[in-house]
Amino acid sequence: MSSGKQAVGLQPYLDAVRRTLTAALCLENFSSQVVERHNKPEVEIKSSKELLLTPVVISRNEKEKVLIEGSVNSVRVSIAIKQADDIEKILCKKFMRFMMMRAENFFVLRRKPVEGYDISFLITNFHTEQMFKHKLVDFVVHFMEEIDKEISDMKLTVNSWGRITAEEFLKKF
Amino acid sequence: MSGRLPAVVIDNGTGYTKMGYAGNSEPQFIIPSTIAVKETAKIGDQATRRLAKGVDDLDFFIGDEALDATSYAVKWPIRHGLVEDWDLMERFWEQAIFKYLRCEPEDHYFLLTEPPLNTPENREYTAEIMFESFNIPGLYIAVQAVLGLAASWTDRPREERILTGTVIDSGDGVTHVIPVADGYVIGSCIKHIPIAGRDITAFIQQLLREREVGIPPEQSMETAKAIKERHCYVCPDIVKEYGKYDKEPGKWIKQFQSQNAITKQPFTVDVGYERFLGPEIFFHPEFANADFRTPISEIVDEVIQNCPIDARRGLYKNIVLSGGSTMFKDFNRRLERDLKRVVDFRMKTTIELSGGRLKPTPIEVKVVTHAMQRYAVWFGGSVLASTPEFYQFCHTKADYMEHGASICRHNPVFGTM
Amino acid sequence: MILLEVNSRIIEETLKQKFQNAEAGLKQESVSILAADFDGVKYHISNYNQDKSKLLISISLNFFKELKEHGAEELLKREYGSYLTTPESGYDVTLLIDLDKLPSNKEELIKKCGMLKRHCFAAVFEEYFRFQQNGEVGRKIAVIHYRDDETMYVQAQKDRVTVIFSTVFRDSDDMVIAKLFLQEFKDGRRKYQQAPQVLFSHKEPPMELKATNARVGDNVAYITFVLFPRHTQASAVENTINLIHTLRNYLHYHIKCSKAYIHSKMRAKTSDFLQILNRARPDDKPKEKKTAKGTTFKQQ
Repeated sequence: MSSGKQAVGLQPYLDAVRRTLTAALCLENFSSQVVERHNKPEVEIKSSKELLLTPVVISRNEKEKVLIEGSVNSVRVSIAIKQADDIEKILCKKFMRFMMMRAENFFVLRRKPVEGYDISFLITNFHTEQMFKHKLVDFVVHFMEEIDKEISDMKLTVNSWGRITAEEFLKKF
Repeated sequence: MSGRLPAVVIDNGTGYTKMGYAGNSEPQFIIPSTIAVKETAKIGDQATRRLAKGVDDLDFFIGDEALDATSYAVKWPIRHGLVEDWDLMERFWEQAIFKYLRCEPEDHYFLLTEPPLNTPENREYTAEIMFESFNIPGLYIAVQAVLGLAASWTDRPREERILTGTVIDSGDGVTHVIPVADGYVIGSCIKHIPIAGRDITAFIQQLLREREVGIPPEQSMETAKAIKERHCYVCPDIVKEYGKYDKEPGKWIKQFQSQNAITKQPFTVDVGYERFLGPEIFFHPEFANADFRTPISEIVDEVIQNCPIDARRGLYKNIVLSGGSTMFKDFNRRLERDLKRVVDFRMKTTIELSGGRLKPTPIEVKVVTHAMQRYAVWFGGSVLASTPEFYQFCHTKADYMEHGASICRHNPVFGTM
Repeated sequence: MILLEVNSRIIEETLKQKFQNAEAGLKQESVSILAADFDGVKYHISNYNQDKSKLLISISLNFFKELKEHGAEELLKREYGSYLTTPESGYDVTLLIDLDKLPSNKEELIKKCGMLKRHCFAAVFEEYFRFQQNGEVGRKIAVIHYRDDETMYVQAQKDRVTVIFSTVFRDSDDMVIAKLFLQEFKDGRRKYQQAPQVLFSHKEPPMELKATNARVGDNVAYITFVLFPRHTQASAVENTINLIHTLRNYLHYHIKCSKAYIHSKMRAKTSDFLQILNRARPDDKPKEKKTAKGTTFKQQ
């Protein structure tokens, strides 16, 4: 779990995320200590210090990193996605907004990312009770794997679209 | 600039899309809601299959051009009034705006329609496409039934322009009876009638097949349709009507002339009883459909009786027709009379049961017919979108960017001008 | 549809229908249609003095006054001749068509009317192309405010005509895509030698416009087309004008299309992600196990 400046290969990076996340997903039902009959994700409300674990940042390089914040009954995973240039930046922004609009279907997706990151997932003990833990981890890792690919793919599409647009127009002269 | 240019009104129906600029009395384009696309590979699921590479994505047609296109897959992105395939819908709009209406969407406000009981998510998706892809400055999503009510305002004085009433919307595929109170659809009371334009055509076709021999089989459907549109009307009493025809056939039986599409030979069809029997299946559905036997008047009565009690009088008083299949002459009179009978009978029973102690105020039943019935929904949209208030009720792009798509879940009622 | 059409479908379809009715001898209905076109153009189709057999087609362009300075009226006279009539109030050009006296070539008339906007626009290009061909250098730059916040400049030189568009992107994301597209326009010439040279600049106007008070700003882009004599010679004029006057809308159209395409890609990927996530859900209902006879085991 280094935060070194040197770029790390993708696989070790994903492995680190997978391990850390698996460890962090050790959740139990926990009623609020502060308000009676409340049961809220502690990582979000942060009402008592002793329920929170030290947040972990796993970074591949300066731009790509994952923040994993653990607590007794919930884990928050925030991902900063690689954005090499303006076009990747807006594609990433658009895509993340697109997904967050459909957050209801994604159960574990947070409607807003944690500041400094592009997308956040919130996994609570209720999720881990209903779903397979290892498959949830698979999902997060799969997401990280695919998203870079998808964004660069979209970028290529926009580029080629632009090229064809220009060519079709100029061809006609 | 946006304030001056007319708003764009698009009514996406299951069968046809009506679109045009606000302020006109008829839509500028009425095209089938269909899109023809190239499907590249046969493997993969639908979404990946369709993802062509880049600009190939622009290789598609909509409307009549789609139906004529060969070696394309013809798709209907709207089913039962609801958008099912958003990818195709987005592209449909793309071409509707740039090729048909020819406008820069950034300059025009948009009024789109939705069926009653549309989901809020669908509204969000619509807003997402409209604001993010097309950068429109403002959007209003109106319920079709409410627009149907607004369309009936044309012939009425100002004080009668209300948004309470029962809308009977009959197109080609299905007929809905929709109660609306103060601009809100009473969703739980909507009823559908499986009888609409297509059924009337089929019924006439069947009658003709039994009697007329000169019609080329492949043209029998369009002949029936043309006869329906030109000669059909609603009669007060079928028995009497039969008598009239038998007494003076020369006066009542019409001739329909057409031409064989292939041989170019002209042919003539006598149009007799089907003139009134066609539309009669609204009132006697058992003529055409063995499974459904409730006349339209009873359905309307049921719908209104299901509604909250304090809305009922308003609903009886303002029954508005909308859609092409309500265009038959005297449709409104017949419906009004039949419905009145049902209502008066109930009233009489109440009085009898109470032994004369109860004297309820009579219920006014009124079926409104108006000049803009055929494209009532679109016309209603055109009327609303050309009022200055429209711009205040729209969700603007700035709102959307600030609050997100969820603001479009709710579109405030307006129109009590 | 890759290239935008130059004709207005609304006008064409209305006329087609009217002409058909006239041919068939059917009664004409009265008409009043308001329509719009790109660049804030408005049309009005109506009847002349309530006479249902006389059609008026009017167009309003915000920048018609500027076009007039460049010979729009002469051009329209050439194209429409006797169809021109005094403009309706609020409109700039009006055509009058008598449905009882239609010419034999109706198709051509329909097409001509559909191109009304294009012909208005063409004036300024034709004039400057002529200047260039005749070597009349040193004319003032023509400035056409073709949209409220966007302007077009045309300049004739000895060996070229320079057309500069300024265009505004209301959405900053669009600017990013536009830059990418315009870069491709710039590079495109390498492949198509016959094409005009295209330059673009972002935020600042190009050198040619130093003297004018052209807009400066984050969301402004300037597109410069350098048209060579090849494009301005008489045989190429029509095609060049058809293309160049739609450029701005062409660019905006394709930016929107590419966004729509990104949308469908995102939809596909999102449903893909959802599928993966749903694998984490155990199947709620254990499948009913049936025997060969079709009876099921049930726990008593």
